[in-house]
Amino acid sequence: MNTVILFLLIAGIGVSLLSRNAEGVLSALQQGAADAIETVLRLSGAYLLWMGLLNIAEKAGLIRALSRLLSPALKLLFPNAGAAKEAISLNLAANMLGMGNAATPYGLTAMRLLDESNPQKGVATNEMCVLLVVNASCLELYPAALVGMRTSFGSLHPSTVVLPTLLSSLAATLAAVVLCLVCTRPCRSRS
Amino acid sequence: MPIAILILLLLFYAAVRRVNVFEAFREGAARAIPLLVTILPTLAVFSAAMGLFRASGAFDLLSSFFSPALRALGVDPALVPLLLVRPFSGSAAVAALSDIFTQYGPDSRIGLTASVLLGSSETIFYTLALYFGSAGIKKTRFTVPAALFAMLTSVVTGLLFSSLFFG
Repeated sequence: MNTVILFLLIAGIGVSLLSRNAEGVLSALQQGAADAIETVLRLSGAYLLWMGLLNIAEKAGLIRALSRLLSPALKLLFPNAGAAKEAISLNLAANMLGMGNAATPYGLTAMRLLDESNPQKGVATNEMCVLLVVNASCLELYPAALVGMRTSFGSLHPSTVVLPTLLSSLAATLAAVVLCLVCTRPCRSRS
Repeated sequence: MPIAILILLLLFYAAVRRVNVFEAFREGAARAIPLLVTILPTLAVFSAAMGLFRASGAFDLLSSFFSPALRALGVDPALVPLLLVRPFSGSAAVAALSDIFTQYGPDSRIGLTASVLLGSSETIFYTLALYFGSAGIKKTRFTVPAALFAMLTSVVTGLLFSSLFFG
């Protein structure tokens, strides 16, 4: 992150100086920073609406309902989850519904419970690695925040991206799941 | 499915489950405010740096240098900042996407592809640091390569599906 920003700034100032346009540097920087206010205002509609609607979904028990649907499939991925089983499926269900904020506490609880039965403290167990990898591939059923963001920037077809996004994150999740199964196999046969 | 139907279904479901919709909405929307406040400084840094990078001509210079290689891979140079920040910071990725939307429009080919790329990938390094940090894990074994592989898959398929769907 730091490297990217540092590079953009140094390259920007460097090229400005080389093209004898030192005066433009400050105005470009300040204009950019000021644009941030406008962007936040644009995004505020989408954020306020979606966080409100998602909280309704959470209160109605949608995370719990989806997590019950998921739990049979999770036995395959997390054979030794033990006490953390529920927290893991709640975490993945919340992620699938696009509720990143609700997912994090479940994920942290799952990590704590998994660590309690960790024979080698400081070394990730299979379950921990798989939880992180599946989290990293993020299968989202409906990218509400993305559609909201497109709407706030005046898109005429905000939801045209839903299907390709779903297919592409499905591919990533499949790749992640297959990779996890391959990676955890040798450890299983040893134990 | 149109989004209006999804919202309608959600409201019916909530009504059946006897959720106080008004209170639940208020509570959720209240949580958006700190989020918007935390995202503002990230947006300011990113759009200042990106604005200067473009205005100075550094972007044109660099993209004309790298664009043959990038185009061979099917990546538009304008997507590179988004792809670079995506694994590290969610708000920086939102900033990068906002920048693309302002510059090219959300319904342009670049805007559509950028949407798919953002929507199908995750802030992997942030999640990794948070989760493993909380359990004091030092040895992460196969997590990082596997997570990066998942991200790479989503980028490749994202580009592929974008050209399939949006031509």
